[in-house]
Amino acid sequence: MKALVCFLLLLLLLATLPSPTRSFEFPAREMADLIDQTCRLTPFYDLCISSLRSDPESGAADVRGLARIMAGSVLATASRTLDRIQELLGQAPDPETERPLAYCAELYIPVVKYTLPQAIEALGKGQLGFAVYGLSDAGKEAEECEKNLSGQGGSPVTEGNELVRNLVDVAVAIIEILQRSF
Amino acid sequence: MQNSPSHTNAPYTLLPEDPSPARPPASSRRPVKVFAATAASVVFLTSLVMLIVNQSPETPTESDHPPRSDPLTSRATTSFSRDAGRLPTGVSQGVSAKSYPSVRDRLSYNWTNAMFAWQRTAFHFQPEKNWMNDPDGPLYYMGWYHLFYQYNPDSAVWGNITWGHAVSKDLIHWLYLPLAMVPDRWFDAGGVWTGSATLLPDGRIVILYTGDTDESIQVQNLAYPANLSDPLLIEWVKYPDNPVIVPPAGINPEEFRDPTTAWMGPDGTWRILVGSKVDGSGIALIYQTSNFTAFEAQPGLLHAVNGTGMWECVDFYPVSTNSSNGLETSVVGPGVKHVLKASLDDLKKDYYAIGTYDPVSDTWTPDDPEADVGMGLQVDYGRYYASKTFFDQNTGRRILWGWINETDTDYDDLAKGWASVQTIPRVVTFDNKTGSNILEWPVEEVESLRLNSTEFDDILVEAGSAVLLDIGMATQLDISVEFEIEGSDALEALEEPEAIIECATAQNRTTLGPFGLLVLADKSLSELTPIYFHIAKSTNGSLTTLFCADETRSSKALEVFKKVYGGPVAVLDDEKFTMRLLVDHSIIESFAQGGRTVITSRIYPTEAIYGAAKLFLFNNATGVNVTASLEIWQMNSAFIRPFPLEEM
Repeated sequence: MKALVCFLLLLLLLATLPSPTRSFEFPAREMADLIDQTCRLTPFYDLCISSLRSDPESGAADVRGLARIMAGSVLATASRTLDRIQELLGQAPDPETERPLAYCAELYIPVVKYTLPQAIEALGKGQLGFAVYGLSDAGKEAEECEKNLSGQGGSPVTEGNELVRNLVDVAVAIIEILQRSF
Repeated sequence: MQNSPSHTNAPYTLLPEDPSPARPPASSRRPVKVFAATAASVVFLTSLVMLIVNQSPETPTESDHPPRSDPLTSRATTSFSRDAGRLPTGVSQGVSAKSYPSVRDRLSYNWTNAMFAWQRTAFHFQPEKNWMNDPDGPLYYMGWYHLFYQYNPDSAVWGNITWGHAVSKDLIHWLYLPLAMVPDRWFDAGGVWTGSATLLPDGRIVILYTGDTDESIQVQNLAYPANLSDPLLIEWVKYPDNPVIVPPAGINPEEFRDPTTAWMGPDGTWRILVGSKVDGSGIALIYQTSNFTAFEAQPGLLHAVNGTGMWECVDFYPVSTNSSNGLETSVVGPGVKHVLKASLDDLKKDYYAIGTYDPVSDTWTPDDPEADVGMGLQVDYGRYYASKTFFDQNTGRRILWGWINETDTDYDDLAKGWASVQTIPRVVTFDNKTGSNILEWPVEEVESLRLNSTEFDDILVEAGSAVLLDIGMATQLDISVEFEIEGSDALEALEEPEAIIECATAQNRTTLGPFGLLVLADKSLSELTPIYFHIAKSTNGSLTTLFCADETRSSKALEVFKKVYGGPVAVLDDEKFTMRLLVDHSIIESFAQGGRTVITSRIYPTEAIYGAAKLFLFNNATGVNVTASLEIWQMNSAFIRPFPLEEM
């Protein structure tokens, strides 16, 4: 009898205890929903999710904040790609390899120095058209770099160029969500 | 050796009575997508034409507020015909004539909206409407190329001049911004006229421009960006204590304008030039400053040339003689020469000469005094004026802008609602093969507009014949062509000497030419524009090659000003005859021998428009055949439009 009462009390206790997983689930599902919902409207869902989730601030961000985080990813990727290009140039390659790499560096330098920082600032000020223009331009420069390199029997920075272009497509898609809601 | 020139069974003449060319269209190796592109453009153009035809006819623009300058803007167009003796626009205000009214105004062609609409260019910079002239203050800053330009916001003729403003990331895709400066102060009430920008080492930007004061005196004013952290440089501030330079004693206050970009002297202070005239000699006055607010007139002149008249839009810049890189405006030293250029008010032509600058005495001496500024080389032998260069520190190039006016009438411009175009920006380098001229070449960014291409290899164009090139649409093209003359050596002796070596109509046949392209030509050749080489023999036996554009049969419209343009071009021993043409509706830019000689043309066909415009090779020589190889790209539009400046 005592065992049964204990058992029942235990059950009662368990029943009244707030379920830890359930309560954390509730707010977390809402945040994931926004990132999830947003990324569903972009051409590269997985890339969008992984990019946004890797930023700790994405959890609390609204769509405008997500757009800024994504534009920041574009800048970070473009910077890394430019670093890689300059590293390869520093290895003193033969002229045939050097020329297209130097051309790529010339394309990426204004993108990293001016275009993307200006686009990010424009996002902060609500100048969505300006931001889209700058991001699209960055994507075009990456494409132009890739076109020039690919003829050289494979491109050492192909991954970077493709990533920049895909991130640009995602960022522009997110901004278009903002543009539609006004 | 054969004495009689070979010719085809149907000798080719360029007269309208002889409509059919001798040969069927040339076939080519053609990518499959050309057909799709052609089909698509036909569909697009058909719908465009239908759209235009359905619109109600346009009425010419009339100015709302009383124009302080040009009386033309306040008149209805119907009264033009009463006005046979009026001045060209601009002259009474003290600038060079900006148009040529003629009695032919009342003979204006019966233009349709479709014809006018066709004249708008697809990839050259022009505002959405109204009048534009000189390019101003070009610069590169924080990722953007800036172009300012003389602009009348109220009418399609010159007047009420403001600084228009546009930006681009690549010198091709331009976005319109709000007006940078308007004539709202006493020191520029008559117009915010031409000026230049200087980028200072500390990152500041200064602009010096000519203001026409409320008493029609030409003064030089300072302006600078309101906010250097705005990459678009939208807002500008005029220095409150303007003007910073007034006409000095001995200089006509209506002949003192167009300050240049500054360069730094050995003493660490800046110098600029302002063009003027004394006793019929064009002169470049020097002013020195350390802060751009206080200027000191230098006692001497940088240079002067007798008999050349007023020098407008003076430009002065270094070129490298041993590399193809551009040079920042202050560079001096070994391996550097300086170009001095002036727009001659009297002739409406841009002349330049290459020489040596002495920074200690602040003087410049031409390499060839017989070909001094205004006497020798022209920047462009066509309809071209007010050119200005700047150093693009982003890519290390010296880039040249030039204003292309209309050659139709004010009446036509008011009817169609706009006037003038800028060239595609050109890279300027020193031609170290000849050592005596510059080369101009369209910036490579224009190639991003190339769509599909068609190649033709070794097409034989027999003496006295034309060959239709089957490329589909022929109104937006980038053409590269090279010609070889067959058996020219033996025929040199047959060439008749010419007393005056100058471009004449392409109908003048000689043994060795002319040969080239027929652009914006309809199938029956009722309208055509030959762009060609003409090899002339002077009375002393030497051969000169001329590069020419013959506009005399370019349009059936009588009021359009049509002449033959062109100049000499050096063709070196190891070179073929090469041309590059950018065809963009009513503008053609033609470059010979890699840009040694350039001709810009304005063409207003009434028939050879839209799908009726064709491209031919031609050879009007009597004595030789010519073979030609070409690559021809269809060109996309640059979609020049307003900057997306909306706020949330």
